[in-house]
Amino acid sequence: MVFESRGEKVFRFAILIVLGLLSVIALLPLLSVISVSFSSGWVVDLNQVTIWPKAFTFDSWQYMIDRPDLWRSFFLTLITTLIGTLLALLVTAMLAYPLAKKEFMIGGILMVGVVITMVFKAPIVPYFLTVRSIGLYDNPLVLIVPHILNPFNLIIMRTFFKQFPKELEEAAFMEGSGYFRLLFSFVLPLSKAVLATLALFYGVVLWNQFQHPLFFITDTDWYPLQIKIRQFITDPNEMPFLASRQEVNYNERTLRSATVVFAIIPVILVYPFLQKYFVKGAMIGSVKG
Amino acid sequence: MATKKWGTLVIAASLTLLMLAGCAQNNGNANGNTSGNTQEANNTPSATEAVEEMIDLVVWNTNLGFKPIEKGSQLYELYKDVLGVGVIHPYVEWNGGTAYLNQLNLKIAANEMPDLFKPQQGIEESLAKNGAIADLTDLLPEYAPNLWNLIPEEVWNIVKANDPTGKGRIYYVPGVLDYGRTAGLIRQDWLDELGLSMPTTQEEYVKVLEAFRDQDPNGNGQRDEIPTGGREEARWMDHLFAMYGIAMHEGNPDWDMYDGELTYSAVTPYMKAALAFNARLYKEGLLDPETLLNNKAQWDGKIDANRVGSYFHWAESVGGHLETIQANAGVKGDFAVLPVPKVEGYEGFYTAKRFQGPVWVVKNNKDEKKLMATLKLLNNLYDTNNWEKLFYGVEGMHHVMNNGKPSTLPEDKSTMENKVFAPHNDFDTVEFKKNLFNSIDYGDRKWAIDLNLRNMDENVKYIKTIAGDGLPASIYEGFADINNRTLYVEYATKIILGQFSIDKFDEFVEKWYASGGEEVTKRAREWYAKTNG
Repeated sequence: MVFESRGEKVFRFAILIVLGLLSVIALLPLLSVISVSFSSGWVVDLNQVTIWPKAFTFDSWQYMIDRPDLWRSFFLTLITTLIGTLLALLVTAMLAYPLAKKEFMIGGILMVGVVITMVFKAPIVPYFLTVRSIGLYDNPLVLIVPHILNPFNLIIMRTFFKQFPKELEEAAFMEGSGYFRLLFSFVLPLSKAVLATLALFYGVVLWNQFQHPLFFITDTDWYPLQIKIRQFITDPNEMPFLASRQEVNYNERTLRSATVVFAIIPVILVYPFLQKYFVKGAMIGSVKG
Repeated sequence: MATKKWGTLVIAASLTLLMLAGCAQNNGNANGNTSGNTQEANNTPSATEAVEEMIDLVVWNTNLGFKPIEKGSQLYELYKDVLGVGVIHPYVEWNGGTAYLNQLNLKIAANEMPDLFKPQQGIEESLAKNGAIADLTDLLPEYAPNLWNLIPEEVWNIVKANDPTGKGRIYYVPGVLDYGRTAGLIRQDWLDELGLSMPTTQEEYVKVLEAFRDQDPNGNGQRDEIPTGGREEARWMDHLFAMYGIAMHEGNPDWDMYDGELTYSAVTPYMKAALAFNARLYKEGLLDPETLLNNKAQWDGKIDANRVGSYFHWAESVGGHLETIQANAGVKGDFAVLPVPKVEGYEGFYTAKRFQGPVWVVKNNKDEKKLMATLKLLNNLYDTNNWEKLFYGVEGMHHVMNNGKPSTLPEDKSTMENKVFAPHNDFDTVEFKKNLFNSIDYGDRKWAIDLNLRNMDENVKYIKTIAGDGLPASIYEGFADINNRTLYVEYATKIILGQFSIDKFDEFVEKWYASGGEEVTKRAREWYAKTNG
C-alpha cells in the first residue's frame, strides 16, 4: 500500500462522498420507476409514490408478463442479439485481420472505403431504398444484417491486431499453418479482451436497436423489444374513451414503469460482468490510430 | 505469398456469397409475399366469377399502440361487411405524428404510398402539387355522394380556398366539428359543499378558487387542493384566457377579428390582460405550481386524485374523470361547465372551430379499380347508418352485448385491433354523440354519463366560432417558429411564472411581428378576404 498523508485521505473521502451522491442521484429515478411499477394505480394517480412502492401489488407485472407478444419480442431480441453479436465478431475479425497486414495490397483502398462510411452517413431515404432493394424490408434479417460490421469497431480491432506480436505469428507460420488457422487458432484465442469489448459494443447496439426496425419492419410480430415497449407506452389519446371503467389495480403509468424495468433487467444483469471490458475497450486501439 | 493472397480472396468471396445467399433468400420472401397478393387479386375474379371482387386497400391513420389490421382478421372482416372493401392497416409508430410522418415519407419515396391515409404536418400540400394524391373535386360528388353531401358546402369552400395549387380544387377530406366540444369545467359538488354559487364574473371566480385553496372542499383534512391549472406550454388552460375574448384552441392562440381585422390573438392587448390575470393567479397559489410542467398523464392524475377544482377539457368527457375520482376517493363528484366569467370591458367565449384540418387524402392511383374502391370506402364510411357499427367495433374484442345493448370494453392494447375509422370524430355532431351515449348499456354508470350529456347541452351557450376557422397551415410557410408558437410560449410562460413583468409583453409583440408575424398576418388577411369576399 502506498502511504497516504492525512490530506490525501481527506481528499479520497471527499471524492467518495461526491461519487456516492452522484450514484444516488442516478439511482433515484430508477428506484422511483421500480416502485411505481409495484404500486397500485390509484396511489400513482394521487402522485404519492416516490421511492418506495405504496399499496404494493404485482398486478402491473402480472398483466405485462401475461402478454405473449412481449415475450415474443423479448426472445426475438435476445436471439438476434446473440446471433448478431457472434456474426458481427466473426465478420469484423475476418476483415480486420487482413487489413492489419501490410502485405495485403488492397488494404489501403478498403480502409478508405471503411472510413468513408464512417464520415459520411447515408441520408435516410437512399439508405432506406438500398436496404429495401436487397430484400431486407419487412424481413427479420434486418435486425441483424445491417449491424454486423461497424467501421469504428473494425478500426479498434484492426489496431489491436496490428499490435499483435509478430513473432508469435511467425512461429505459427513455421509450423505450417495458413492464415485461417492462424487467425482462428492463435490470434483470436489471444484476443479475448478486444473480442469481449466489441461483443459488448455490438450487443448493446443490437439490444437497443429502434430506428432500423421502426423503418424496416411493419409486421408487429417481428418487433424487437424496444419498439414493442414503445408501443406499450405511447401517450394517451386526447380523445375520451367511452369504455366502462376497469376494476384493476394498475393504470397506464404503472404499466409503463413495469415495462421499462422489464426492458432493462437483462442489461442490468449482464452489465456488471462486462463493465470492466467497457473501460478497457475505450483504451484498446487508442494507442495507434 | 500466393497462398496468402488466395486465402484473402477466399475470405472475401465466401463473405460475398454469404451476403448474396442472405439477400437471395430475402428477395424470395418479399417476392413471395407480393406475388402472392397480386395473384390473389388477379385470380379471385376469374376463379370464382360469381363472387364480387374484394379489393384490399392499405390505410394509414393514428395508432396509439393497438394491434394492426391484417387480412382475414376480425376487424378486417367487420370492415369488409360494413364498408364493402378490404382494409389492411399496418402498425405505424405514431409518436406525436413525427415517427408516422417519417415512415410515410419513406413509403412515398419507395413508391408505396398507402391508398388512403391521414396526412401530417401539411404533407398534403406538396403531394397535391406533385399530383401524387387524387384531385377529389369531381370524384366525390359522383362516387362518394354520402361524404359529399354530409360535409357542408361552406366547409368544402374552405378546402377549395386552401388548395395549395391555387386552382380551387379539393385534395383532402376535412374534419368537421359541428359543436363546441371544449369548455372550462368546475367542481359543482365543491361549490355546494362550501355553500358557494356558480361564479359568473371574474372576481367571483377568483373568490371560488380561493375558497377551493383554503377551505378543504375535498374534505380529506389536507390543503392539497389545486384550484385550477393546465399543462406544459401554457396549454389546456384556455378557460383562463377565454374570459378576455382570446381565440385559443387547446392552448394555441388562434385567429379572430380584433378591431375589425383578422389578427393573431396572442399579439392583441386582450392577451396582455389575460396573461396578467394568469400571473396573478399563479402568484396567489390559485394555479397549480406545476402547471407549466404537467403532461397529460400528470394533469389527468391530479384531476382523478380528487384535487383539482377547475380545469379545461372536453365537456362531454367529465364522466370518465368522475368515475375514476369515485374509485380513487369514494366521492361522487360533478364537473359542471363553467360559464365564461365576465370581465368588465371584454367579451368572453369558448373557442370553437368547425374546420378540423385534413383527415384523409387518397392516393392518385393509376389502378382505376383501387381508386374506385377507395371512393366506395369513403362513401360507406360517411354513411351515418354505419357509424354505430364502426364505433362499437368487433363484438368480443371492442364491445360485449349486455341486455341487447352494446357495452364498450376497457382499452386493452394487447388484444384490440386499432379502429382506424372514427367518422363520428371526423364529422362530429352533438346529435350523434348524444345518441351514442344513450345507446350505451348504462349499468351503474348512468350518473356519470348523464353529466356528460348535461354538459354538452350547457356548453352551447358559451361557444363562438372564430373568424380564423379553416385558416390553412400554409400561411406559416417559412416561419416554422411562429407556427410552433416558440416565441409565444417563452414569453407567456415567463410572464405567468413572474420571471418577466407584464410590460415585457410589448417586446414580445414587436419581436413576433419582426420575425415573420407581419408576413403571416398579411397572408391570413388575404385568405380571409378570399373566403369571405
